[in-house]
Amino acid sequence: MGSPSSSNVAPGTAAPRADAFALLGLPVTYELDTAALERAYFEKSKELHPDRFANAPAAERVAALSRSRALNDAYQLLKKPVARAEYLLARAGVTIGDNERLDPTFLMEILELREELAAARQAGRLDEVGAKQATMAARRKSVLDELPALFRQGDLASVKERLIVLRYLDRYLEECDAILDSED
Amino acid sequence: MLFQIAEPGESKVKEACKPRVVGIDLGTTNSLVAHVADATPEVISGDGGALVPSVVHYAADGTVTVGREARARAVDAPGDTLSSVKRLIGRGAKDLEAMRSMLPYELHGDDRAVQLAVSGGRLVSPVEVSAAILRELKARAEAALGGPVEGAVITVPAYFDDAQRQATRDAGRLAGLEVLRLLAEPTAAAVAYGLDRGSTGTYAVYDLGGGTFDISILKLVDGVFEVKATGGDSALGGDDLDRAVATAVLADAGLEVAATRSEEAHLAAAQRRLVAAAVAEARRVKEVLTDAGEATFTLASEITGGTAIERTLTRADLARWARPLLDRTSKACRRVLKDAEITREELDGVILVGGSTRSPVVRDFVAELFGKQPLADLDPDQVVALGAAVQADVLAGGRQDVTLLDVVPLSLGVEMMGGVVEKLIHRNTTIPCGATQTFTTYADNQTGFDIHVVQGERETADACRSLARFVLRGVPPMVAGMARVEITFLIDADGLLKVMAKELTTGIEASIEVKPSYGLSDEEVERMLVDSFEHAEEDLAKRNLAVERVEAERILAATRQAFVDDPALLDDDVRAAGEEAMKKLEAAVAGDDYLAIRHAIEDLDLATKPFAQKRMNRAIAAQLEGIALDEAARKVGA
Repeated sequence: MGSPSSSNVAPGTAAPRADAFALLGLPVTYELDTAALERAYFEKSKELHPDRFANAPAAERVAALSRSRALNDAYQLLKKPVARAEYLLARAGVTIGDNERLDPTFLMEILELREELAAARQAGRLDEVGAKQATMAARRKSVLDELPALFRQGDLASVKERLIVLRYLDRYLEECDAILDSED
Repeated sequence: MLFQIAEPGESKVKEACKPRVVGIDLGTTNSLVAHVADATPEVISGDGGALVPSVVHYAADGTVTVGREARARAVDAPGDTLSSVKRLIGRGAKDLEAMRSMLPYELHGDDRAVQLAVSGGRLVSPVEVSAAILRELKARAEAALGGPVEGAVITVPAYFDDAQRQATRDAGRLAGLEVLRLLAEPTAAAVAYGLDRGSTGTYAVYDLGGGTFDISILKLVDGVFEVKATGGDSALGGDDLDRAVATAVLADAGLEVAATRSEEAHLAAAQRRLVAAAVAEARRVKEVLTDAGEATFTLASEITGGTAIERTLTRADLARWARPLLDRTSKACRRVLKDAEITREELDGVILVGGSTRSPVVRDFVAELFGKQPLADLDPDQVVALGAAVQADVLAGGRQDVTLLDVVPLSLGVEMMGGVVEKLIHRNTTIPCGATQTFTTYADNQTGFDIHVVQGERETADACRSLARFVLRGVPPMVAGMARVEITFLIDADGLLKVMAKELTTGIEASIEVKPSYGLSDEEVERMLVDSFEHAEEDLAKRNLAVERVEAERILAATRQAFVDDPALLDDDVRAAGEEAMKKLEAAVAGDDYLAIRHAIEDLDLATKPFAQKRMNRAIAAQLEGIALDEAARKVGA
């Protein structure tokens, strides 16, 4: 779609943040106890939420807002496995760029899968789209399940490789969602 | 039962020294106000109960009446009696195009905001109408509490976008209220439920009001209310069911109202009255069917202009007409469960909110959808106002054992080169929050950045809601890709967005201009009152035509260029089909039917698909030689 107001901005990179594990008082590990994470987050939120400071002097309100924001950002980074893994890599100085090279075999495979998906959509075979989505979701889970062991072995290169694969799998799953959303 | 209906005047004494703050549920059909007395939220009643119908009547002599009295005028003066304006607030003519034929009054205005024509040619905006309702609630609260109200928490559908929220805030301001917070309706309901029952666990709040639908998933633990995900449809509600019933009954009686009306600019007065009467009767019948198995739908002959209608309707009839609307809610429910990463089995309960959930038809549907019997022991009409009153009390320094963790309902991002949206903050991110991303220049010696802030889930900026435009000036000329512009989005606990931009390589403080494209300044409010938009209908058609023509020219040029660039990929039959489609599109552009142009564009798109596919495949093959997929896709303009 051509917007008459195309902006002259190009994508870049995300900025670093304060340490998320430290903010929540949790050990630095991929295998977080999610119940403990939620407990820590709720406790800190009670203390820091700006609503606690609604009638405080302006300086305190501003400080509370930025502490609360940092806390929420930290929780966001840690609560989902993929985000947490990416964050741990970033902490270790391993970045995932937009133009990472892919294993050509995997690329060919994902392209084929996407073509099949497009064909299923054009033919209106929604059951098939649903089935493909379920298959892909299972595959995503199996890739995700490899991460704890890889982190334990300190094999960050393999973690990175899996995360790149996950991005493509997630994009495929999003496409399935979009098809099912628009068609039903 | 913790909550009580306060008698007027009852709480005057005990509330003497605390700041008077209230919670207001500004609903599509009904509104109400509540406050906290002795740590207990209670609804404030006036004449005729707690609910104030969200209806405002504008008489020819300038008199404005609100509520029950106004609603009584809906049938004899439908054009001057405005109801359900919540469906119009913060929306422009373009947003409402599909709906306008179903509204019993004349819409004026532009793509940013609409106005309604009432008696004597007066134009009123949905913001003003909402302000009239808020003023009535404020007066009611002041009478009951014995003094001026100092602040209010007003609830909005969780799925309201920024423009709708800003307009609601403007309405509060216009009514002389300090808006302490806009609170999501399902969150407010969960607070009331959670506090009443001391519940812990994960709940879905299914909120079907008169004109909006929200679904939220919340986790309740020890005074913390965390919204996990929220979704909905800000243009779907009980009103639609009333209209569906009215349309079906009229159609069965041989009065095809909807079909003939959509092309007409203005409804004939008689027809407008017929629709208003049929909708009102449909609502009455729907309400009767809440307790009874059947009800009689009647319209007198002087209203139908022919034979009188008398027809027995059953709950099964209602269920059948409601089904398409309810199916729309189930789609939103599935998405929100997915966003919250939870299955329906893991939910501890489903809470019903909104007057429309009184209907057994809706209850049965929700029970089936979630596989459990929904909770509805608190009055679904009152629960939102009660929760809002609690939050108002928290913000006024009252109770401190409640913490609400709300979320951004719709993703926020910036428009990039090519009209694609880069999301900085994704939907369902807990507020307050922030995000920073660095961008660079596409062109050499670019000294200014146009930053367009948009809201929505779509991939292209023109399909999202435009929130603001920034210009960052004073960047020294550099080679493309050298400048580093850091864009920061900050959202506070109110959900209000602040955007900042800074150029990093030079450290030069560049200036920023903010041009809000929504929300109204005081001068704008005034000007809108003065201006009249007599040619709104024509303007809309003209605008559509202009947009489609530009799009057509763009596609024609791109297709011609591609045919020249890649003859090797172009099969003869595809070329022939493409050229034929281009001829048809050119012919359509010469005409003035924007729909014809849109269809011709789609046809051209289909005709050239095999060619586009080949170009895409080639671009993807380039990936194997080291070019990223994203880059390749961008190159073919996918």
